[in-house]
Amino acid sequence: METKHVPEKFIVSIGPQHPALKEPGHFEFTVDGEVVTDATARLGFVHRGMEKGCEERNYTQDLYLMERVCGICSHVHALAFALGVEKLAGVQAPPRAQAIRSLVAELERIHSHLLWLGVAAHEGGFDTLFMFSWRDRETVMDLLELISGNRVNYSANVLGGVKIDINDSQRDALHKGMDFLEERTHHYMKVVTEDETFLGRTRNIGLMTKDQASLLGAVGPTARASGVKHDVRVDSPYAGYPQFPVKLITEPAGDLEARFVVRINELFESYRMVREIIDHLPEGELSVKVPRRIPEGETISRVEAPRGELLYFMKSNGTDQPDRVKVRTPSLCNWASVLTLAVGHKLADMPMILAGIDPCFSCNDRMVTVNRGGNSQDWSWEDLRKYGIAYYK
Amino acid sequence: MNLTINPILALLIFPGGLCLLAYSLVYEFVDRKLIARFQNRVGPRWFQPLADFIKLLAKEEIIPTGVNPALFVVLPIIALAAALTAALYVPMFGLQPAYSFSGDLVVTLYLLSLMTLCIGLAGANTQDRFSLVGATRALTQLFSYEAPFLLAMLGPAIALGTWNINTINTAAAHNWWYLITQPFGFLVALIGLMGKLELPPFDAPEAETEIVAGALTEYSGRGLGIFHIGRNVELVIGLTMIASFYMGGLSSPLDFLWKTLVLLLVTALLQSLFARLRIDQTVGMWWRIGTILVLVQLLVIILGRYLGPVLQSLIGG
Repeated sequence: METKHVPEKFIVSIGPQHPALKEPGHFEFTVDGEVVTDATARLGFVHRGMEKGCEERNYTQDLYLMERVCGICSHVHALAFALGVEKLAGVQAPPRAQAIRSLVAELERIHSHLLWLGVAAHEGGFDTLFMFSWRDRETVMDLLELISGNRVNYSANVLGGVKIDINDSQRDALHKGMDFLEERTHHYMKVVTEDETFLGRTRNIGLMTKDQASLLGAVGPTARASGVKHDVRVDSPYAGYPQFPVKLITEPAGDLEARFVVRINELFESYRMVREIIDHLPEGELSVKVPRRIPEGETISRVEAPRGELLYFMKSNGTDQPDRVKVRTPSLCNWASVLTLAVGHKLADMPMILAGIDPCFSCNDRMVTVNRGGNSQDWSWEDLRKYGIAYYK
Repeated sequence: MNLTINPILALLIFPGGLCLLAYSLVYEFVDRKLIARFQNRVGPRWFQPLADFIKLLAKEEIIPTGVNPALFVVLPIIALAAALTAALYVPMFGLQPAYSFSGDLVVTLYLLSLMTLCIGLAGANTQDRFSLVGATRALTQLFSYEAPFLLAMLGPAIALGTWNINTINTAAAHNWWYLITQPFGFLVALIGLMGKLELPPFDAPEAETEIVAGALTEYSGRGLGIFHIGRNVELVIGLTMIASFYMGGLSSPLDFLWKTLVLLLVTALLQSLFARLRIDQTVGMWWRIGTILVLVQLLVIILGRYLGPVLQSLIGG
């Protein structure tokens, strides 16, 4: 056996293929025994070029494309896009449509948070909670299928409104579903705040103070678990939220347990919202007409996705195709917090700290330029072609 | 129950060898099915463990670069052989052990530990990061549960004054269940067995969300299959020993069946109840709680054993 050079640093790499992450991301944890001393992330394995793709399609086609940015929070992407286009076109969707948009967004939040609860429990080796929460998540998936016909990409939005309506039998089903889920969620709240072995894995793990959260630009439940009072639904209400206000939920502790508690409390708030909206659904039309050509302009559209603030920047040029669409997804904002928090923790805590921000990989993939000493950022097509041939030779 | 069997048959077919392998697959199925039902899943079909095993045997065994190939191939075989050998000294199926000598308890316990040592070596043999971390954790865990587990298994032996498994098995049937008189010992023995087999919540050495499959990450095909079935065999032997020591001995196959199955039910329940412990939590738990409990237990036994006659003679005199 030949002797191999033993590197001084012991690096455990996780991903892009690893059982902990079902989506492609690459992390390198430098460990000293079990303790992590350094962490880096590399993204970009499933870059799909969607922003560029938007410029090649008209606004209606883009709506369908943007709904597929994320597989879990699909509705909010379409919602953010539709709201932006409506703002550019100077139209406003009718109140009933806005309320239904919020209703689907809240149902989506329920499904996303229950999914996260299961994934986070699985990362901590608590498969029983994983199986139970995913079983109950089927309830909300069935409800979404009932009202929209789809389990994942609900396609509820059109430019200028929605294409689904809520009838009485659907309302009853929603009420029944919310009652069942609320009862189950009370049980999960008990599990995550009282189960000793589980608390051993979450309490005082991944501690992030309020200042750190602000400094690292954390968003969504991750930031709210550190006491940052920030929620787009509250700060600048959109869609149906001006009419149906949301309670801001924060937790001061800042550890993993707080992230569980915040999300579970948000579940309760979402159940309340769903009930409120279906009980007081405004009457009226479902959509208004939006012109095919959108007048020239720029806008920013912000919505609160289940993972945090989702930002769309849009620039129109007077044609039926956008000039530029820029998407900033919440997971991208939260990476910095993970990499900072990782240092000093045990390797065994890494999956849970990673899962604690509820990462979504494919929606935050960006093209990454690794600058290996070269100084030029401008490459011509010919340069790129040559580089590609050389790279894969 | 006594049964005289040709030693070669005892070694290869019954109660060791083939019979035990088949039986351990049944227990793996029961274990998996029970956990699945506790977790509200459907669970595997009855032949799934066998199908998995056959599939693994049929697959190509990849020997990664940088390992010692001989060690890589031979380690799973040693692990399985040690587990099968241990089966000869315990009252499998409620029958008398195939072999028996005074002090075979210690030999059996060491044969059972060989599995973890082999897994640790297998991990350390490869250059894979996950394997190395897994091997470190497996050996760390070995050092934490092994002493309490050993002491827990010695409880009935000390109480009865013999280190022969067969004698303990027979004598246990005539006493109260040690489960009642030595509850701490039983608890530590059962949980120690779970630690030994790296079952949840003690599965940090093979925590899939952190280090893929731990020490066995680089194993595929035959080696992996043999390691798996070796662990199943060890599960059956461990359950047999605990049942015979703490649950009033195993005097007939029926006795064996219901006692080990009840124990399996309890372990399956424990496996689905908890979140995975970090390796430092595991070590802390064993040394802070497990060892203390079992030492207290041992002290009580020794005091009872040596002071009991003295007190008796004092009262009698």
